Amino acid sequence: MNMVLHELKAYRKSTILWTCALVAMVVLLLSMFPTFARDADQFKSLLQTMPEAVLKAVGVQIETITSILGFYAYVFMYISLCGAIQAMNLGTSILSKELREKTADFLLTKPVTRTQIVTSKLLAALISLLITNVIYLAASTIMVLAVKNGDFEISKLMMISVTLFFIQLIFMALGFFVSVLVLKIKSVLPISLGTVFAFFIIGMLGATTGDGAIRYFTPFKYFDPAYIMQHASYEGPFLWLGLGIVMAAIVISYVVYRKRDIHAV
Amino acid sequence: MNLWIREMKAHRKSLILWCIGIVAMVGASMSKYAGLSMSGSGASMNELMADMPKSLQAVMGVGTFDLSKASGYYGAIFIYLLLMATIHAVMLGANILSKEERDKTAEFLLVRPISRSQMLTFKLLAALTQLVIFNLVMLGSSILLVNPYSHGESVNQDIMLLMVGMFLLQLLFLGIGLAIAGVSRYPKRAVSISTAILLFTFILSIAIDISGNIDWMKYLTPFKYFDAKHVMYSGGLDGRFIGLTALILVGSLILTYVGYNKRDLHV
Repeated sequence: MNMVLHELKAYRKSTILWTCALVAMVVLLLSMFPTFARDADQFKSLLQTMPEAVLKAVGVQIETITSILGFYAYVFMYISLCGAIQAMNLGTSILSKELREKTADFLLTKPVTRTQIVTSKLLAALISLLITNVIYLAASTIMVLAVKNGDFEISKLMMISVTLFFIQLIFMALGFFVSVLVLKIKSVLPISLGTVFAFFIIGMLGATTGDGAIRYFTPFKYFDPAYIMQHASYEGPFLWLGLGIVMAAIVISYVVYRKRDIHAV
Repeated sequence: MNLWIREMKAHRKSLILWCIGIVAMVGASMSKYAGLSMSGSGASMNELMADMPKSLQAVMGVGTFDLSKASGYYGAIFIYLLLMATIHAVMLGANILSKEERDKTAEFLLVRPISRSQMLTFKLLAALTQLVIFNLVMLGSSILLVNPYSHGESVNQDIMLLMVGMFLLQLLFLGIGLAIAGVSRYPKRAVSISTAILLFTFILSIAIDISGNIDWMKYLTPFKYFDAKHVMYSGGLDGRFIGLTALILVGSLILTYVGYNKRDLHV
């Protein structure tokens, strides 16, 4: 328990900063919605004059994307990018910092097992992410309610927002996994930024070209807002895939960390 | 000169990794284009897109690019290439100075018979060399990988112009990274602060895209300085923004030299 508290304290500032950043982002981007909706309305009236074939091809798409939920889904893409960076940073640094800052021998001479160390660090990271998510969820819901121009299903909004937590969990576990596998991490940010942006760009490429199979390779596309808006549920295979990745990464982290050499100073 | 060689060696591995990343990225996106160009989109579709308000285009993810042409597709993905290049540049700038303190080698370096300014100059040169290599690899792989899909359309000129814009932004972000590492009293945070600035300006450029009525803010975010649309379709690089880039670059270099010469190094 001491360890959990200590970690939470050590990460307090970064959690607060990240939470503020995410909230500021969602407020900034959603505040553009009213002007966006006005532009879109004008365009929609123009659309009525188009031939029926065109209307059929893009009508539905435009209808969804100009609704508040569709707009939120677009904004959410960038929020999940930032959230993923936070989670991956946290996951990568929380174990490896002991080595980097030469506090590992101090920690390991305490009467706790390595399993306990990993468990408390995981728990601390989890709590920190949970705090971020609860605040984000509240802020984004309030903001959406403030700028909305029509009715929408609030449960679907929640379902989309909660996927931030899922994505963060996956990246946190990935970070954990990387930090026990790599012998010495000099600096966390290049690793986490590199990984997160690589996955993000893979996802964007998949979206630009409309390729379905590519979705399996990037956690950013596991929880498709369009699917959630239509069916009010998550896609089973991807949910399991995400869960599988998290479980595998965590189990491997435990196994490896129990056995590996920790260099003292 | 020794310092330059030392820095180049120290960054060799990361530079090679980045270069592999560039080739993979350009290759992967162009191979996706092969699948895309098969389907083709009707002319009426393109017309419809042209009538769309700018903000709606941004959200639908098409922009004003004609995706049925290789050059249009390249323009659409260029923002991600730019993101890669600027991340590399800003991290390089912040890292190359702050790592001496992070790895506790600053004392060793500073007792050598060179002034701090000399040290900065060689580090700057090393970083510059890496930016040039990065840019040339990007240019080479783009030209080699886009041409096979261009169906006779000449794309090289557009690509070269875009690369000049990319290089200017790389310089700009290198300067920002250096200035932060040079001035900041917390060198450990230099890399995080400079990436935060980068992310912020990137998000700001997206906000500008979807808002449509805060265009004046484009002076605040370098990602809008050499917009691919503008560069490709309406007359190249904008002189005002080249001036602004030069100004920021010179300012941040002065800040770096002055700040680093004065400040205490924490070891």
